[in-house]
Amino acid sequence: MSTNDVLQVRDLVVSRGRLEAVRGVSFTVGAGQRMGIVGESGAGKSLTALAVMGLLPAGWQTSGSVFHDGVDLTRESDRALSRRRGRTMSMVFQDPLSALNPTKRVGVQITWVIRRHTGASQAEARAQALDLMTQMHLPRPESLMRSFPHELSGGQRQRIMIAMALACYPRLIIADEPTTALDVTVQKQVLTLLDEAVSERGSALLMITHDLPVIAALCDTVAVMYGGRIVETGPVDRVFQTPRHHYTRGLLKSQPTMDNIALDGSSRLPSIPGMVPPLTDMPAGCAFRPRCAASTDICATMPELDDGHTSVACWHPIVHAAAGLSR
Amino acid sequence: MTAPDPDIARSGAVESSSLESKPAASEPVVVDKTGRVRDRRHWNASLVAGLILTVGFLLLAAVSLFYLPADPNLPAVRDRLLPFGSPGHLFGTDSLGRDVTAQLMLGARTSIYVGAGGALLGLIFGTITGLAAAASGKLTSETIMRGADILLSIPGIVTALVLAATIGAGAETTIIALTIFFVPSFTRVIRAAALRVLEEDFVTAARLYGRRRLFILARHVLPNIAGVLIVQFTLYFAVGILVEAGLSYLGVGVSRPSISWGLMLSEAQQQVGISSPLAVWPGMAIVMVVLGLNLLGDGLRDVLDPKLAKGR
Repeated sequence: MSTNDVLQVRDLVVSRGRLEAVRGVSFTVGAGQRMGIVGESGAGKSLTALAVMGLLPAGWQTSGSVFHDGVDLTRESDRALSRRRGRTMSMVFQDPLSALNPTKRVGVQITWVIRRHTGASQAEARAQALDLMTQMHLPRPESLMRSFPHELSGGQRQRIMIAMALACYPRLIIADEPTTALDVTVQKQVLTLLDEAVSERGSALLMITHDLPVIAALCDTVAVMYGGRIVETGPVDRVFQTPRHHYTRGLLKSQPTMDNIALDGSSRLPSIPGMVPPLTDMPAGCAFRPRCAASTDICATMPELDDGHTSVACWHPIVHAAAGLSR
Repeated sequence: MTAPDPDIARSGAVESSSLESKPAASEPVVVDKTGRVRDRRHWNASLVAGLILTVGFLLLAAVSLFYLPADPNLPAVRDRLLPFGSPGHLFGTDSLGRDVTAQLMLGARTSIYVGAGGALLGLIFGTITGLAAAASGKLTSETIMRGADILLSIPGIVTALVLAATIGAGAETTIIALTIFFVPSFTRVIRAAALRVLEEDFVTAARLYGRRRLFILARHVLPNIAGVLIVQFTLYFAVGILVEAGLSYLGVGVSRPSISWGLMLSEAQQQVGISSPLAVWPGMAIVMVVLGLNLLGDGLRDVLDPKLAKGR
């Protein structure tokens, strides 16, 4: 692996008893790179993120390896991991209201993160927190520091969370649906902040979302997950313009655009027929097989995700004439 | 005991004015002048009534530190069994001519000392064991909780009798007995409350920022269960007062020259029929204080733990 790789996940399996929620996922995020993981609920996105941080809920187990700056996190002790969390890797949550302690002022909560990992005094940590809040374009940071989480707006809370995540200049930032709970205008601001953090600090960003436009706006590469596996991966432009997996194409088609919606409500948005199969009832081979129009008998055997060549796990990939030739 | 307290009077005024200024009574959250969102769910009838009774009780005990109308242990044979309202003896005198007013005031002090002492020690130890059970692995957790079950299965009165027999009856012995009696209940309540908080996202977030167990328990969990702790404290304070009165009545609690309401009841028992009010005053004092503390606890619970209040 290259020394520039901030995060390299190899054959990650997250399971609980005989249930496998993540079934052999591999990907790499380099410094200054923004990678998106996209997929429906239950595809294993969040569990992948928690497995990387080493904070799976009780009962879940992992196999495979997670290299962070060359260190295999799966072999680290809990104490060593806790020294890394918040310092070299950190995470932004989906719902900032529940991720902030309701009984503590937000300023205190930011300084806690700073003081955990640096030898900063209370005054130094406070100054750093103020600086961070200014960087997050929060208005009147001095008075906001004394506010409780419930006194802030959703966007302000999420910016506080991002400030906490960025407090110690982490090399890896994982954002688990950071914009889902926010208005569209606030979403844009939050995405801009994350983007600035990556470009100014050279961090690696792993963006987990089910929101394709967010990926398109922010990320360099994307991995599409389905049924606990990555079914297609590649540069965002390539994947979104010439999707090769039938699931990726279905996802993209079901996005409302100016072309596929009629304002009088006469047209219906295309959708992928069927449901994500439950973990207890995953079909053998390609998990998307029951919902796929192109499936044949061979799909009962698991197609490999060939990273170097096709980067799509499908026996019948969609062929795009022009793009296919140039590639 | 129910002397109007200026604080209460003022808070009553706050309550009524806030109700008037707020046409939508179903919307308790308002924004004040500084732009901060404030929650106005703060006052309810049982909280106000409980506060009045409890503060009156605390004041009575506080005054007894500086002023007593007479020596409560000084017999005066000529003044035996004076009725209520006698000059110099507002609540009359007992069979030995001792002033009942002074005894009631000292009894309040004993009630606070024993009841609050037992509840506080129970709370401290119960918090430690409850948090430990909530945050540790299955083995430790099960050991603590089954230990609590075993302690709970021993009747409190037996613990108190054994302690009184071995180390001698008295206020401190009663406090120890109460602590042993309270710790398992506190452990259960605090463990349950802590488990709820430990499920919260901000605990996961704290771990994601590198925090470990002790910090999370002290700085994240404890402030979030403070409401539960306060409510439990007031409720067990009341239980402690009842148990103390019961033990003193049975003669295994406080005895002369210390004075307790239970002791007064026990002494008044011999005069029932001759001078019944002697039993009424301490009995009423116990009822009022226990009622006040329970109302206060219920009122505080509605304010501090709205989720629980909704579920009731």
